[in-house]
Amino acid sequence: MQVTLKVFRYNPEADKSFRYEIYTLEAEETDRILDLLEKVKGYNDGTLSFRRSCAHGVCGSDAMRINGRNMLACKALVRDVGDKITVEPLLGLKVVKDLIVDMEPFFDNYKKILPYFINDSPLPADGKERLQSPEERARFDETTKCILCAACTTSCPSFWASDQYYGPAALVTAHRFIFDSRDEAASERMHIIAETDGLARCHTAYNCTLACPREIPITKAIGELKMATITGKVE
Amino acid sequence: MILKRNVSLATALRYKGQGPYLTYILHRIGGLGMAIFVAVHILASFLGGEIGGFLNDVYKNWAFQIFIFFCALFHAINGLRITILDLWPKLLDHSREAIWLEWAVFLPLFGIAVFVILSTALGG
Ligand code: SF4
Ligand code: FES
Repeated sequence: MQVTLKVFRYNPEADKSFRYEIYTLEAEETDRILDLLEKVKGYNDGTLSFRRSCAHGVCGSDAMRINGRNMLACKALVRDVGDKITVEPLLGLKVVKDLIVDMEPFFDNYKKILPYFINDSPLPADGKERLQSPEERARFDETTKCILCAACTTSCPSFWASDQYYGPAALVTAHRFIFDSRDEAASERMHIIAETDGLARCHTAYNCTLACPREIPITKAIGELKMATITGKVE
Repeated sequence: MILKRNVSLATALRYKGQGPYLTYILHRIGGLGMAIFVAVHILASFLGGEIGGFLNDVYKNWAFQIFIFFCALFHAINGLRITILDLWPKLLDHSREAIWLEWAVFLPLFGIAVFVILSTALGG
């Protein structure tokens, strides 16, 4: 089949503003949008710039807007998006070149919630693992799946309004550690996310949950964090 | 040079966020609509005279009344849904059904109100 691929282009060395370029390509309906971009880069225009690494939905490098919605280019198939395809960079982050955005504000927000395991208590007597029941592990299972692709945060109207908002991805990671029975910094993190630029900026638009390629129930995780900060209980 | 991060209103509205995002947008329009209504109301009483009379005519107009009723009712029902989901986050597993329910409550109520406003305005 033939597809039309309309791509957002911006070259900081030559362009004052962005433009769109249209490519007509032969494609299979099982091709991924990433395959189409590779094809353009390989055969039409080697200067086309985009991030990709694993090409299998694991590394989170290639989140972009495809037909107006955030997706991973390596997971979106032609048959799912149709034969007229528009590819644009994520919203709310500066565009460095073509489909590449400056991820720095995203990771700055991520760092704010202390995204690492904290437990300063001595190790158990056997000096091995800090054990946890299957139920305790299951409590935060969903939020361990995040690949930091930023599809959620850059689909959020609150983040579009201000990149000071920590954003859904940072809150998902906060959930991952706050609900981990082995971690000891829950109250410190709850204090951080209760700041003005934290939970309060989530207005339940739900775009994040629909954009997440890992199908993490983000809004629910944020809802659980809201209740935890209100009640002071992590259950 | 690097392109700024500004997300214009038009770009934001074009994001394909589906049903929940539509309710998010309508909720904001509802809030803004009510603020406009209150402002027009206060201004009309404050200014009086010809301008006050004109503003009174605006908010007595049936189209404006339908718009304001839409704003108030949608804002209230959607706000209730969000509050319930915020208080019981487990219910967010049924977010889609909650939105259907919201429309199922909103549409008949709004329909009746439109009927009443129109029959009063046009029927005399
Ligand atoms: S929560 Fe989902 S959408 Fe957000 S960064 Fe993680 S994987 Fe990507
Ligand atoms: S390239 Fe790794 S997630 Fe798509």
